[in-house]
Amino acid sequence: MPVRLIFKYLNVLRSTINAISMSFEIREIVESAGTNLPSLFDFVSFGVLWKEGPHLYLYQEESCPPSFTQEVVKNMISVISILGEEPMDVNQVSLHVEKRKLKSKQVFMDPEATLKSHLTLPLAAEGEISGCISLNSEQPNAFDAQDLQFFSVIGYQMAATLKHFQRFSSIKNIAIYDTLTNLYNRRYFEERLGVEVQKAFHTGAFLSLVMVDIDHFKRVNDTLGHPMGDKVLCEIGSVLKNSVRKKDTVARYGGEEFILILPDANLEAAFMIAERIRRMIEKTPFEIGQAQINMTVSIGISNFPSHQARSKEELVKWADQALYEAKGGGRNRVCVFDSTKR
Amino acid sequence: MVSPGKEGKKEKWSADLVLDLYSDLLGEIWEIVSALLGETILSLIFILAIKKLGDKYPFLSSVKVSEEGISLQELRENCRTMAPVEIHRGFQGLINHLFHLFSVLAEGVISRELFPKVLPKVREAERIISQR
Repeated sequence: MPVRLIFKYLNVLRSTINAISMSFEIREIVESAGTNLPSLFDFVSFGVLWKEGPHLYLYQEESCPPSFTQEVVKNMISVISILGEEPMDVNQVSLHVEKRKLKSKQVFMDPEATLKSHLTLPLAAEGEISGCISLNSEQPNAFDAQDLQFFSVIGYQMAATLKHFQRFSSIKNIAIYDTLTNLYNRRYFEERLGVEVQKAFHTGAFLSLVMVDIDHFKRVNDTLGHPMGDKVLCEIGSVLKNSVRKKDTVARYGGEEFILILPDANLEAAFMIAERIRRMIEKTPFEIGQAQINMTVSIGISNFPSHQARSKEELVKWADQALYEAKGGGRNRVCVFDSTKR
Repeated sequence: MVSPGKEGKKEKWSADLVLDLYSDLLGEIWEIVSALLGETILSLIFILAIKKLGDKYPFLSSVKVSEEGISLQELRENCRTMAPVEIHRGFQGLINHLFHLFSVLAEGVISRELFPKVLPKVREAERIISQR
């Protein structure tokens, strides 16, 4: 291999390792690895299978047809079974598949494609197999020794980062979750938005930001007391959490403000989610002590690339401006940022 | 590491001879596969393979595996009184299981690198032992 090419690969490897080690949770690791790996290997799908109690989670490239996913799962489970102390019964585990757009280029897979070759490596923490990572191809003999060498470096880094996650999970919880609502906190939101914005800018994928503010929240605190205000915040937080997709991030932005990151959501999809949230909160009677009260929220939306944001700060600023519009327009409404008012 | 020849021509069908043969073989496997998978992943695979075969061949738990490699020192102390054929079967089982794992993990990629260099030695070890 020419020296120049080796240096190119080493650079990709270095940035992949860096991105993995900066991750805060498994899906970030998957995305960091998934977005960088296509520069190193020729493969159709990258997957991570992760075991947590009786649950198995598979994170995989979204272009994989269901039959291909099934084969990949079967293969990864057989690897875990062969390596682990006890065989794993596919029928005894509940499998959750989360598909993500990992490659920058749109990939179209033959719906009839079958798994012809793979590289699979175990992920272990404290000597226990907790999952595995896999590169898959519908071509036979798609990988060689050099691919395995690069992939094992990535596998090693992923395993090391996961080990850190387990060791520091309690510290991580304090660092990334809001202690009152159990939603992500603002610090985590900033980190997560950075990752999502980078990905959207790189791939051209949609990214929406939804800012939610509880209307007249001060009145609740002033009339019913702060503990009741806290209860409202928790309940609205849980409505938000239950109204979004798995891949979305819901965070408490501060005070009575919440913020949602919606990857791969265009303006229409983001508006639909925001409207659903607004209606659900409007309809929900919040039980405060003996009384029931009704609450409403105002919502602002910004979107990439529709609003041509050049940074994550602009995206936040414009969601905030849209929220301001919603407040000014009489509250209990959803407003999309108006680019002409930039 | 002791080579089989060092013990002289009057070698007996002894536990030491079997251990020497397999020490060489495992060392060779370690060298080739660690260049592909790295020491951390490979040591994990070795440890898991030994654990898996532990019920059938408990003496294998004395094989010490770390990121530095494999050591049979402790095993050598512990199994002097064991039947050599039993040691041979245990290591044969371990090597077969490792080959199976390598093929499950990376299909032909590891085998292509490993087999040309190691399989002749596996056969040679089996031949030496079968002659005793």
